[in-house]
Amino acid sequence: MSYRASQEGSYLVRTFDDDRYAWARRSTARRRLVLVEATLIGALVALGAVAAVVDRRWSTWYLVAWAVGLVAFIPLHAFLNLGIRGLYDRAGRTLDEHQRQLRDESYIAVRLPSIVLTFAAIAAAVATVARTGEAALGLAIGFLLWLGAGLLPYWHLAWILPDEENGS
Amino acid sequence: MSRRPRTEADIVHNRIAVLRAERQVSRKGLADEVGVHPQTIGYIERGEYSPSLALALRIARFFALPVEAVFSLEPLPPLSETVYGRNR
Repeated sequence: MSYRASQEGSYLVRTFDDDRYAWARRSTARRRLVLVEATLIGALVALGAVAAVVDRRWSTWYLVAWAVGLVAFIPLHAFLNLGIRGLYDRAGRTLDEHQRQLRDESYIAVRLPSIVLTFAAIAAAVATVARTGEAALGLAIGFLLWLGAGLLPYWHLAWILPDEENGS
Repeated sequence: MSRRPRTEADIVHNRIAVLRAERQVSRKGLADEVGVHPQTIGYIERGEYSPSLALALRIARFFALPVEAVFSLEPLPPLSETVYGRNR
């Protein structure tokens, strides 16, 4: 299927190209969203570390913070995705050659940190369970770091993409 | 392989913006015809992306011109100079 044919009838693609979300494609908006997302994930990991060190158990306050944080993450990531036209969430056939290049370049650029963060997620989960005996807490912290590893290409792309030019 | 120009020598110069203005074709119109996103046309026009050979040929075919009339490794002279042989 050609690029043009793949654009027709795709609600997802039309959403990512919707001009109502042009504000999210400005570099300042994209970079702010990256900073907020990274801060949110980092804060949840830090709170998890506090819960593991101080409480040494799966505390109710951390469950609430974790759940609220991840619910807040959903709209943040939706807007970030609109800012990068969903290049990582769309089928390859709906991207043209330049969009595929942008997607692949960011993926390659953060490949090593992403691998490191994935191993850190496993190590943090194991260490947390070993220290507290709470599998849920270990999984919560590990999940956040693993999520961060998966988000690195999104953040890199959102950070480096130049402002789009409007007009015909 | 990346096709984002890293040095001045890597830039593929083009006349797409001039040709579009002359033919009164919007970026979206050209993009639809050659099968890319309109923003990609903008990146090519600004020299921030060097198109694949296939895309360059499709763009040249759209304008019914040889590819070397649309793209060049050297900065392209104004069309008036090319057509009339004078620089004014």
